[in-house]
Amino acid sequence: MRILEGIRIALQQIWAHKLKSVFTLVGVIIGITFLIAVITVVEGVNRYVQDDFAGAIFGINTFSVVRRNQVQTGSESQEQRRRQARNPYLTMHDVEVVRQAVPDAWRFSYSVDRGFGEVSYNERSRRNIRVIGGSDGYETMQGWDVAEGRGLSPLDERRSLKVAVIGADIAEKLFPDQSPLGKRIRLGANRLEVVGVWEKQGGLLGVIRDASVLVPISTFRETMAWQRDRIGEITVKAHTVEEMEAAMLEVEAALRRDRKLRPGIENNFWLQTSNDLLGAWDKINRILFAALPGLVSISLVVGGIVIMNIMLLSVAGRIREIGVRKALGARRRDIMYQFLAESSTLSVAGAAIGIGLGIGLGKTVDALTPLPASVPLWSIVVSLVLGLVVGVGSGIYPAYRAARQDPIVALRYE
Amino acid sequence: MSVADDIVIHTRDLKKHYVMGTETVRALRGVDVDIRRNEYIAIMGPSGSGKSTLMNLIGCLDTPTSGEYILNGQPVQDLDDDDLARIRNREIGFVFQTFNLLPRASALHNVELPLIYAGVSSRERMQRARKALEQVDLADRMDHKPNELSGGQRQRVAIARALVNQPSIILADEPTGNLDSVTSEEIMSVFDGLHRAGQTIIMVTHEPHITAHAERVITLRDGEIESHDARVLIPATGA
Repeated sequence: MRILEGIRIALQQIWAHKLKSVFTLVGVIIGITFLIAVITVVEGVNRYVQDDFAGAIFGINTFSVVRRNQVQTGSESQEQRRRQARNPYLTMHDVEVVRQAVPDAWRFSYSVDRGFGEVSYNERSRRNIRVIGGSDGYETMQGWDVAEGRGLSPLDERRSLKVAVIGADIAEKLFPDQSPLGKRIRLGANRLEVVGVWEKQGGLLGVIRDASVLVPISTFRETMAWQRDRIGEITVKAHTVEEMEAAMLEVEAALRRDRKLRPGIENNFWLQTSNDLLGAWDKINRILFAALPGLVSISLVVGGIVIMNIMLLSVAGRIREIGVRKALGARRRDIMYQFLAESSTLSVAGAAIGIGLGIGLGKTVDALTPLPASVPLWSIVVSLVLGLVVGVGSGIYPAYRAARQDPIVALRYE
Repeated sequence: MSVADDIVIHTRDLKKHYVMGTETVRALRGVDVDIRRNEYIAIMGPSGSGKSTLMNLIGCLDTPTSGEYILNGQPVQDLDDDDLARIRNREIGFVFQTFNLLPRASALHNVELPLIYAGVSSRERMQRARKALEQVDLADRMDHKPNELSGGQRQRVAIARALVNQPSIILADEPTGNLDSVTSEEIMSVFDGLHRAGQTIIMVTHEPHITAHAERVITLRDGEIESHDARVLIPATGA
């Protein structure tokens, strides 16, 4: 009941001095906003990475041969990075070496890609796209399905035909009210006939698929490649994890033999699997969650100190009120509870505002970027508990000062 | 009802000393007071006479250095802070010169306060606070904040607050000190009405015409009781 009285007074104070309250609570608000926003985004990305991302990017039981590790985890030394930078580019010769090393692989493909400034059709254009030169089987390997038209065929590759399958975003942008099939799009100096459109993927992965143009690798190498020989990656898919691991050993041995690497010398190529990506994400995750409590507690401590000062001012401004309450029968602990309830209400209100802003921030990130956001319930509970802890912690000293007042002195206080 | 039951305040050789640096100020030098139930008492005296000290002791805001104080049959001279708070809550209704209402709370909520600390349920609090406000003719001002009320109305809210716990005594400290003479009379008639209804009233004042409402006047001088019936002084000092 006395606690309710404290809460009522606190809400009254907040409402009567809205602007002052916001300044009072700014530390708590920032801390909790940050906490919720980071957890929201990290959790969202986490779920996404674990559920879809790694598998979708790399595929299950799939590995790729690349020139150097493309997932930077920060754990490689400067020296390792420099050494990898000297690795030779992959070529068609490597493609054949790998192909022969794993004749029983379930699927096999290779590709090369580059970013491209713009793709256009008549007046319309789409910026920042990626052009992929894919071998036969590339789409199957990636698991990309065609929504309209057809995919690339072995014939396209053999004849280096100027044909393309385009992502859904590009199709929407260039052909808002007609079918793209049979149209000739312009890509730099080239004109390519659209033979198919992929199903829209959306979400985080959509950035890659929905904004890509796939052409036969032969076409790419002849008309668009910086360096004609270069191959970006050679990808092998096995039926099972065990088969994949065996195939990786075969490929590693074959490439080392072919490149005449003596025992003890490191590979001058990299075998990339989804583990590299998950490992990298795990690492980012760990860093974020290790840094989070520190950052959040700094702002909460600052916020607590601000609240404590405001409460001390509030006590000083209400000495007479304390005297009156004591004269009317309030015990020390009643006054104590009242001010503790007040500081806690303030702080929890700040936490609630922070939760709202944090969720808002998460949703904004969700809407403006392809990062998915999801607010875990536990983060809200943790935030409210933190708010309560800060409120009680910052209220103890002011409440003690208030409770200690001598009623006679307090009643005469001007 | 026996004579002992009829005594609501009983003090014997009540002393209060304050230590100020190296000096000891003897604010009360042994005061014997007996006040019966339903008495209407005025305490008078020049400043420094010890009347505030006596009021603080009677009001259980302070404890005596020595002596005996029995309030409503209970010795209170040795109680600790929290027990004194409980006694104040149950036995004493304060009315102050400066009203001392909570500025941000409605009249009703101000009157409810003592009941909050008595642990009364909110439903019963509302009923009793309403009744107390009706008793002082403020039924139509319950939701007003103190700054929306006149001085006389504020003091009536304070009186309602003092009444709401049905205390043994109402202790009023210069209750008309901040009011004009017309409003003063209005407030005094409220006290007279309460007295007629059986309430014990102790009033600290230095205004002789206010003491005219009391049955008995206790005059203090230099920490001792000078006389027990000061009404004869009224013509002498001139009201």
